[in-house]
Amino acid sequence: MFRGSVYSGVEDDLKSLFNIVVSRGYRVIGPKLVDSVIRLERLHDFDEIPYGYEDKQAPGYYRVVNNGGRFRHGPDSPKRFLYPPELLLFIIRPDLSIEYPRFEFAKTALFGIKPCDLAAINVMDGVQGELGDEYYQKVRENLLLIVENCVEPGGTCFCATMGTGPFAFKGFDIAYTRIGDGAVIFQPGSDLGVDVLSELGLRPAEDEQVDRLRSLMMEASKKARAEFTLENLPETLEMGLDSEVYRKIAEKCLGCANCNMVCPTCFCFDVLDEPELDGSAKRVRIWDGCHSYSYAQVAGGHFRKSLYARYRHWVLHKFVYWLRQFGTFGCVGCGRCITWCPAGIDLRQVVRDVVREVETRCRR
Amino acid sequence: MQEIVRTRMAPGRAEIVKIIPETPDTKTFYFKVHEGLVEAPKPGQFTEIYVPGVGEAPVSICGLEGNGILVQTVRSVGALTDYLFKMRESDLIGIRGPYGKGWPTEKLIGRDVLIVAGGIGLAPLRGVILEVERNRGKYGKLTILYGARTPSLLLYRYEFDRYREIPNTEFLLTVDHPDETWRDHVGVVTELIPMAKINVEKTIALVCGPEIMMRFTVKALEQIGFKENQIYLSLERRMKCGIGLCGHCQVGPYFVCRHGPVFPYWLIKKYFWVDEI
Repeated sequence: MFRGSVYSGVEDDLKSLFNIVVSRGYRVIGPKLVDSVIRLERLHDFDEIPYGYEDKQAPGYYRVVNNGGRFRHGPDSPKRFLYPPELLLFIIRPDLSIEYPRFEFAKTALFGIKPCDLAAINVMDGVQGELGDEYYQKVRENLLLIVENCVEPGGTCFCATMGTGPFAFKGFDIAYTRIGDGAVIFQPGSDLGVDVLSELGLRPAEDEQVDRLRSLMMEASKKARAEFTLENLPETLEMGLDSEVYRKIAEKCLGCANCNMVCPTCFCFDVLDEPELDGSAKRVRIWDGCHSYSYAQVAGGHFRKSLYARYRHWVLHKFVYWLRQFGTFGCVGCGRCITWCPAGIDLRQVVRDVVREVETRCRR
Repeated sequence: MQEIVRTRMAPGRAEIVKIIPETPDTKTFYFKVHEGLVEAPKPGQFTEIYVPGVGEAPVSICGLEGNGILVQTVRSVGALTDYLFKMRESDLIGIRGPYGKGWPTEKLIGRDVLIVAGGIGLAPLRGVILEVERNRGKYGKLTILYGARTPSLLLYRYEFDRYREIPNTEFLLTVDHPDETWRDHVGVVTELIPMAKINVEKTIALVCGPEIMMRFTVKALEQIGFKENQIYLSLERRMKCGIGLCGHCQVGPYFVCRHGPVFPYWLIKKYFWVDEI
């Protein structure tokens, strides 16, 4: 068995893979149906994965139906585990002595995450790698990444535009594709992946299976597209800093920061003091989002009081600034910000409209 | 097995050794720092000051005394600074830093130095004035143009005579609203620029104040021939973490806490004129 080669198996092999991972001492986190939403949760049994359920996604719309279809992802992303919504940084006593917290870092398998979320982990690595959040790194070192390629992208997906999916190319331990009729194609992406998969007794994929995989890949790529391309995108967006599009969006946007919370790469945080009765205080890191009113507020001033400016900052950070800061786009095209926006604002249209406005202006 | 997780956001101990009231809402604190500084502080950098159970705020460094004493001027504008104002000499606070890029003192050597400050904006520049005083031979002419809304809002008034006594120094003051004792200029700080004797080609300008004041100052400086690489600005933003992690202080692609707070004008020119960028 070799990294990068493709191997053929059946759906029962997925269950065996799950059990092998568990027997190797991994805690497994994967998709699970909770209160009609597919969350990422601790799994104890392979059958908890809601295969056969489909998540219908559209701007501001999410429903799970049991129709034999395929699901993509819910509001959770791996960020929840690598970069928790709330994390104790330290306890500080009145004499200013400091006690750092202790955490358990268990070997963890992310089972059946999608290529966009794998890409998001790679993006987060770029952010955290250089700056070095210690908690992130310790979780990251213990991850086994098992990715399910997306044969049927959802209604808000645009990973093909962002170059992050719908099939995974790098950074995973194991990728698999359910190609239909109970057949599954497996791909080891690391030495660890080779080692785990070699327990399954798979055979090299047949030529027609490889052809089928390829055509599924092409079809899926066509679906997961937005109406803009990455060509000159940062430069174009930067020419449209004053675009009217942002002001129009601000008429709909609620400034709720849902998009920041569900985004698999948004990393901004605030630190709060939680005073205790003994005079000590917990310093707690919590997620913050650039859409919230207080984000750029300082005592005695406010640098982004207008909602249009906060929305614009978010778009520019994902598609312009991120490249300069960390060398990648900050958006992986997962579409969560579109699905979970209570106002149904479609980021794909926003970017497309700004690009069109700038292009029209340049032609004049 | 459990592992200890550390963070670079933990403060070290510092003791308040002296407090000087400056204006009705501003005080200068002298902190004896016992531990926790990540490097030797430079003028224009900032620290995060922590008050237990209340929180943290970024405050610029206004000077360094011997024996590791940091001088920092604070305006009471929020929860943390209000609480800090109630503290007394020998009280303990937390401090971490210094962070960011300070004024480009090495680039000032052999050049004339023009300081344009508005209100509390003189605070991060005080360290530059004291550096020129200490090593007078290294720098050319020092010009200080300082304005505030009223005479009572001028910082460091008790030091003004000392600034005037620095050889080869021109020190001009202005206020928007004078009182009956005011003998200097009345008007905005940019009106002082044509009044001063500035050898533009030889000069580096250091500017700090409210954003609107800095915009007018840049325009006025460019009008008399300053080039983009001769102007440095100190920006204020919400520097929550100080180490480029939390995102709050971004201006365009820059984290003000890491890439600033002092920027050469040419670097931020594209974003400086865009409202609420």
